[in-house]
Amino acid sequence: MRPPSPSIPEKDFFFAALDQDVRLDGRGFLEPRSLDLSFGAELGHVECSLGKTRVLAHVDAKMVRPEPQRPFEGLISIHCELSPMAGAEYEPGRSSEEETALARHLDKIFRRSDAIDREALCVLTGERVWHLRLSVHVLSAASSSSSSDAAAAAGGGGGLLDCASLACAAALRHFRRPEVEVHGTGEVTVYAPEARAPVPLALHHTPFCVSFAGRSSLKVRMLLDPAGLELRLAHGVLVLALTAQRELAVVHKAGGLPLAPETLIGAVEIAARRARELETWLDVHVRDDWARKNVEVR
Amino acid sequence: MAVSRADGRGNEDLRPLGIVYEKLARVDGSARFGFGEMEVLASVSGPIEVRLAAEQPSRATIEVNVRPLSSLPGTESKALAASLRGLLTPSIILSRNPRTLIQLVIQSLTPSLTDRFSPSLVAASINAASLALLNGGSIPMTGVVCAAAVASLHPAFEEATSTLVLDPSEAESHTAAASGCFAYLFTTETGESQESPAIPGARLVWTNWHAKNGTFDEGELSRARALGLVGAETVWRAIKRSIPQMDGLPSLPAVGHLSAEVLEGAAQDEDDIKVSDRESDDAKIET
Repeated sequence: MRPPSPSIPEKDFFFAALDQDVRLDGRGFLEPRSLDLSFGAELGHVECSLGKTRVLAHVDAKMVRPEPQRPFEGLISIHCELSPMAGAEYEPGRSSEEETALARHLDKIFRRSDAIDREALCVLTGERVWHLRLSVHVLSAASSSSSSDAAAAAGGGGGLLDCASLACAAALRHFRRPEVEVHGTGEVTVYAPEARAPVPLALHHTPFCVSFAGRSSLKVRMLLDPAGLELRLAHGVLVLALTAQRELAVVHKAGGLPLAPETLIGAVEIAARRARELETWLDVHVRDDWARKNVEVR
Repeated sequence: MAVSRADGRGNEDLRPLGIVYEKLARVDGSARFGFGEMEVLASVSGPIEVRLAAEQPSRATIEVNVRPLSSLPGTESKALAASLRGLLTPSIILSRNPRTLIQLVIQSLTPSLTDRFSPSLVAASINAASLALLNGGSIPMTGVVCAAAVASLHPAFEEATSTLVLDPSEAESHTAAASGCFAYLFTTETGESQESPAIPGARLVWTNWHAKNGTFDEGELSRARALGLVGAETVWRAIKRSIPQMDGLPSLPAVGHLSAEVLEGAAQDEDDIKVSDRESDDAKIET
């Protein structure tokens, strides 16, 4: 199905509005969309909505044999697929460019950045390790760009990625794996959640993803949390994944608008502030839900 | 013979039904249905443009995609999708929109212990699909397909008849001797049901009753069928009750058994119900 393409009046309106310091949906240039998080009945099941984009993330763990080259590290796999529920233009079975970009970004942000401590997932060296499976389902991709535009050709990013990475971060923080005990000769006992409180994952850091869309006319303007038309018409997209402690995990700027170093540093500062806000907000929500579910008795 | 179930329910009690109209932004209709905590989210887009290969000259094409929560969609998902397509077809008037596509996506929100979908999850998927079709409003339908799952538990001691329970939990269907899901099409074309004039007649459109050891007897199957019909009728009443609130409250309180008097009383409750908007999405151009 043909995705909607921007028409000339739409383009002109968008650019004229930007020149007058106005965004299409009335937000400030550095104002993100409204955020909402809801946890499911299982630990590690999270639904995140950013504006009209909704993403579901689910973490589960099972014990498997480790890789022979790395007998003391657990395994992590991130599975992300766009179904027609996210939008009628996503066909089942055929990976669109956007889907591959999303999967690659999530992989970089959570797996390659070593956010999860893999050695803590080891139960019995060489025999048993935890295999974490993070499934990401996009329920509504209201902020995606079409595959034939400069922004997506530059490697994707934008509203959908922000929402998906927040859902993943929340799911990883919320999830608790069952407690295990290893007895002398290699016998492993896995305790049910009723017997012993499940244990949260050991995370080295929690990265948060912040995207900017760049557009230059009289001067370069960066829009925080771009959505829809802004992504399609942007000259370039900058994706930053960083922690609340101001450590950059991923900087993705593939082609597009040339940025002066000062603009880039400025964007990083704004993203750092946003990451700090998200960290406190997420922490409060996760603890609330744990308390509500009575995960542990102290 | 009442068997004590793990969660204290009676043999013919369903778990509290949850019906939520999700209002997903990119599809025409979406809804979430749950038997207790076993939930499924379904979305429908249609009638929309169809690929040339799938186009049919005199009727619409139905496409169903089933996606499990944690694993990749495999053979089981494809099998369930094919079954869903078959059982939903009698409820949709396909000839009204030829050369178009009706695209359904069923997203399971419940982790499954095994590859196979448990009968309650299948029933929840069918109900969610019906709700999504109703929510879409753009697809002409002859009736509503409602489903309920039944399991036959091993008798506590040697008995002639085994116990049939309605809406088995995942653990119960795992250990049951036989289990399956029954889907009924409720449509006024078949007249009124014998139970109550408020409910249209029901026709069995699909079942996947199967036994662990490969054999089951016809008597048990017909008793299971009757019990499944009781469950499906309860689901139908819950769906009917949720329709007036489709554009209003995002979720309903849990409903169990509804009698016909309550259903008639619900018509008067409409004025008392405060309709609140879940999203103030018209205030700004939201994307």
